[in-house]
Amino acid sequence: MSGAPSPVELEEPGIDEALAPDTPWVVLVWNDPINTMNYVAFIFQKLFGYSKEKANRLMLDVHHKGRAVVANGTREECEVHVFRLHEHGLWATMQHDQ
Amino acid sequence: MASTPIRRNRHGGIDIRLSSDERELLLILGPQLRTLLTDDPDDPTLKRLFPPAYVDDTEAESFYRLLARDELLSRRLANLDSLERAARADRLSEEEALTFLSALNDLRLVLGTRLGVSEDDDPANLDPADPEAGLHSVYHYLGWLLELTLAALR
Repeated sequence: MSGAPSPVELEEPGIDEALAPDTPWVVLVWNDPINTMNYVAFIFQKLFGYSKEKANRLMLDVHHKGRAVVANGTREECEVHVFRLHEHGLWATMQHDQ
Repeated sequence: MASTPIRRNRHGGIDIRLSSDERELLLILGPQLRTLLTDDPDDPTLKRLFPPAYVDDTEAESFYRLLARDELLSRRLANLDSLERAARADRLSEEEALTFLSALNDLRLVLGTRLGVSEDDDPANLDPADPEAGLHSVYHYLGWLLELTLAALR
């Protein structure tokens, strides 16, 4: 599963009903060999207020697919998300959603 | 029978019962990372503590670093303060346990980078003859402590 370039999965996680056309940025978290699965799921819950189930699903996406979209929003919002993920040691990046 | 050394108590705080060796180890690792962060913040083993936000946009990335880097650095140093307090404490507040958790994770990121660990790095496969076997053990010990802290916080 890993290695193959997979498209950013818009209908998957983090993309909530509130998604508006002027919020075209996405925050990605990438798989890494150091952070533990429990830790990553815990941080998703803590930072984004996601349910345990949603946090676990996102964590498993990161683990199995190599990355997952964990949030979206304006550029400013995404930069704050990325910064907070970095504070907690997660490998997060952001990009303009195509 | 070994009782869990880190667990939530009835008053909502978190009890931490580490041996003197464990406390001593944390009090060695914390200051070591502090020295590295302070004296040599561009050391390659620290790269996971300052990840890039933008991979395809160097201009946006340099701007992000300009804004984020110092704040990430001071956050890390504050986490280490918390680690050193925790290493001397018997009880942590929820907030202290969270920063202790962050510090443990920071240490693992640096140690794991230094050791070049892979996902299937298994403590059972440690080769005692490996000159870095000791560091691997420390890495796995920190992982265990991190999981206990997480379990207490959940």
